[in-house]
Amino acid sequence: MLGLILRRLIQLPIILAVIYTLTLTLAWRIPGNPLENPEGRRPAPEVVAAMQAQYRLDSFWSFYWSYLDNASGIKYLRDTISGRAAEQTRAAEAAGLAPPTRLIFDLGPSLQYRDQRVNEIIASALPVSMALGATAILIALVIGVIAGVAGAIKPNSFADFLTLAIALVGISLPTFVIGAALLLIFPVLLGWGRIPSWGRPIDLLLPAFTLSLPFAAYIARLTRLGMIEQLQSDYIRTARAKGVSESSVLFKHALKNAFLPVLSYLGPAAAYAMTGSFVVERVFVIPGMGQHFVNAVQNKDLFLIIGVVLIYASMLIIFNLIVDVLYRWADPRIE
Amino acid sequence: MFRLLIPFVVLAAAILLIVGADRPAPRADFTFINRGDVTTLDYQQMSWQQDLRVAKIIGEGLVTNDVFSHEYAIIPGVADRWEVSADLRTYTFHLRDEKWSDGSRITTADFLYAWMRGLLPDVGADYAGFLQHIKGGRAFSDWRAQAIASFAKLNTGASDPSAAAALWQQTKQKFAELVSIRATDSHTIVVELERPTPYFLDMVGFPTFFPVCEAVVSRYENLDPATGRIKWNQDWTKPPNLVTNGPFEVESWKFKRDLRLRRNPYYWNQSAIGIDTMSIPTVEDSVSSVMAFETGAVDWVSDVLAAFRAEMVAHKNAFYAEHKSEYDSLKAQGLDPIEIDRRLPPDPRNNIHIFPAFGTYFWNFNCSRTLPDGRTNPLADPRVRRALALATDKRSIADGIRRVGEHQAPTLIPPHSIGNYNSPKGLEFNPEEARRLLAEAGYPGGKGFITLDLLITKDGGHELIAQTLAKDWERVLGINTTITVQEVKVFRERLKNKNYMTARASWFGDYGDPTSFLEISRTGDGNNDRAYSSSKFDALLDKAAKETDRTARLRILEEAERLLVEEDFPLLPIFYYVNMYLFDANKLTGISSHPRGDQLLYRVDLFKDGKGSDKPLSLPPLKPGEHHDGETES
Repeated sequence: MLGLILRRLIQLPIILAVIYTLTLTLAWRIPGNPLENPEGRRPAPEVVAAMQAQYRLDSFWSFYWSYLDNASGIKYLRDTISGRAAEQTRAAEAAGLAPPTRLIFDLGPSLQYRDQRVNEIIASALPVSMALGATAILIALVIGVIAGVAGAIKPNSFADFLTLAIALVGISLPTFVIGAALLLIFPVLLGWGRIPSWGRPIDLLLPAFTLSLPFAAYIARLTRLGMIEQLQSDYIRTARAKGVSESSVLFKHALKNAFLPVLSYLGPAAAYAMTGSFVVERVFVIPGMGQHFVNAVQNKDLFLIIGVVLIYASMLIIFNLIVDVLYRWADPRIE
Repeated sequence: MFRLLIPFVVLAAAILLIVGADRPAPRADFTFINRGDVTTLDYQQMSWQQDLRVAKIIGEGLVTNDVFSHEYAIIPGVADRWEVSADLRTYTFHLRDEKWSDGSRITTADFLYAWMRGLLPDVGADYAGFLQHIKGGRAFSDWRAQAIASFAKLNTGASDPSAAAALWQQTKQKFAELVSIRATDSHTIVVELERPTPYFLDMVGFPTFFPVCEAVVSRYENLDPATGRIKWNQDWTKPPNLVTNGPFEVESWKFKRDLRLRRNPYYWNQSAIGIDTMSIPTVEDSVSSVMAFETGAVDWVSDVLAAFRAEMVAHKNAFYAEHKSEYDSLKAQGLDPIEIDRRLPPDPRNNIHIFPAFGTYFWNFNCSRTLPDGRTNPLADPRVRRALALATDKRSIADGIRRVGEHQAPTLIPPHSIGNYNSPKGLEFNPEEARRLLAEAGYPGGKGFITLDLLITKDGGHELIAQTLAKDWERVLGINTTITVQEVKVFRERLKNKNYMTARASWFGDYGDPTSFLEISRTGDGNNDRAYSSSKFDALLDKAAKETDRTARLRILEEAERLLVEEDFPLLPIFYYVNMYLFDANKLTGISSHPRGDQLLYRVDLFKDGKGSDKPLSLPPLKPGEHHDGETES
């Protein structure tokens, strides 16, 4: 187990470096100038040139290496070891200036939100998306597992078709429709909940439910399939023959094994849910990561694009690792 | 099985922890949804409307505009009085004894420091051009750009902190030497301008001219030893570091959550303030912002963009129709539309408000001699452009597609928005004349004409407008058209490179002078996307720039606009924008209906809240025959 964790953690920076290279190459090719507003007055050409030089946007390779240097923590290490950081702090203090801000993994400034660093944006948005995504996954698990078991008890029964129908609706109805409908029914008409839906744990319910539906549908189908397969296996027949109660058969024996495919789906699903959904966050006015994926590309905010992509990639890798660890923990047969 | 539950229980606990750590603050006295999220609180870097709006709450320049006067009168800000020389080139401002939000004195040096920042190419101010009206301003910007370029050449590879510091010292000296701003004593600033500029005071009220507290901001200076550039560590704009001089100060700024403001106890004009706290939550979805208003979470939505807004306007009109006699008599008294709403019976349908804006929607014509593919450009011929303009039924776009009470635009500058400026008439829809002109230009019945491409962006409802234009032009002129949809960044690049035939466009004025709209058509202007070049037009602008008599100057500019919208048509005005607000006029006051569209939100006062005077604010009534600014007969 330790070997697995170590191996994955060593792979992480290499994978991230490859993803960084690919993302930057693609993002660099987005047409347009990130330092210019989409509407209205254009800055003077001298101003654009000066700003491009300041952010190193005038040369791909200069940007590539300087970003890598800052974001990987190499520059931080170098400055600390060489004593340059301490020297700069001393110089700033001597001149009466605020000491320079140092970050270990410096993801750079946002080009769109000039007062913000990408680190700050992610630090403020990621916990929100993680909380929302985790709640959604929990809700999806409850709904999905119950619906899946209900469907599996009597395949092709009315209950099975009902859960299938609900699952289909959950997958096919776009979240902006469900979200807007929920907002209209609960806060606007009934006065329950509020907009923006962020701040109190109870406020998370509506957006998390909206976000959970596609996951719930998927989990329901996975659970149903697994359960049907398990319920036909020999050990269940033995258990029933021994007179084990039906609920014990279902939940103690069959579900335990039927849950394993759900568990392996949970890794990528959790990474996906927790890095934010653009639509759910926008409709429910939640300050999460989802908006940055879309807006950063539209604004060609290079630093932010790379920042959010790297975070998403890291989370995907880490969640898959967690799932693998959980898998072994839940089922010692797997090595 | 229970073993599997453990991780999920841990997860649930973590969620509660994260959410609990971010508790919402109590409701502020006044909560509003801004046009978008604030991008920066650095006045000199601002160019988005939402930023400028906040700047006018937390900051104040030497002077400001009275948004509750028709003429948008210049009123005292940090300066309590000022003198303008007869040649309109020297402005003397006398500062009152005023304090920053940290209690320190505002000095003339704070203004000089801020204006120097605005002129530095390092800061990248979109509005540096405003400061370059000051004599020597442009020379200073150019000098600094040069100095940085040669610094980078000399210093390749080496990074010497002392050289960068020396350059910065030299830059400060150059600023004092080159730029004609002098602090003659601790309370007086004398500014000398490049040219007579009658609208300079209007610009001085713009956030680019706002002071920053030098003692605080200079602590965040950060010199790059490799390039010699100066950067300001972004932390200076974040509370509690940010020190301001406006009616409110920033209490907290939670990015993408909300910006909270509280009354600045050091502000000089406390009696103008009727509330103690303000909150600006980030709500980017247009439908959610309407719902936030409906649930009472916000008091004002500054831009109603929801798809159903035309229906909201229709409901309001139905409400007016139900109270027709009352409404007509109030309107006949020349009352401010907000005051009319306040005197009518309360009704939720009446919460939507439509006021003329200081901006126009138009279409660009590429006036270059050749098209990007090398063919001759028929649009280079003014007769062709005029034919296209005459063949456009603007009314059907304003009333049939937009449906939010906008008026079709015969001119570029919204009429009555600038005092004493008489807009030219423009041309009416005239299919016969259009066909005659196209034939005269060599394309009778559209024969031999290129397939005209209409370039638009995806969102914003441009598609229906493009289809209407295409239909009009095909039907009236017999030409063929295509419509191209592009992402906004690509669109912007294509316009810049003149790689298009016709394209949608818009422009909003920045200050109360016709040049704010007309300069974009000058030959070679950075915002002249049309490649329009007319020596006659340029000469008129030059002549106006030298004219010191205000009336004579406006007559020259009227002629310049007439050239654009009656003869040359580098652009085709379609309609004048409106501002669409959502607020309850019976609950609060302080929002202005002035067509210039600026708001001084510290004037907002909620009725019956025990704070402020509760006196309703509005534009004074007009005499019969006079127009509310921006109003046009339709």
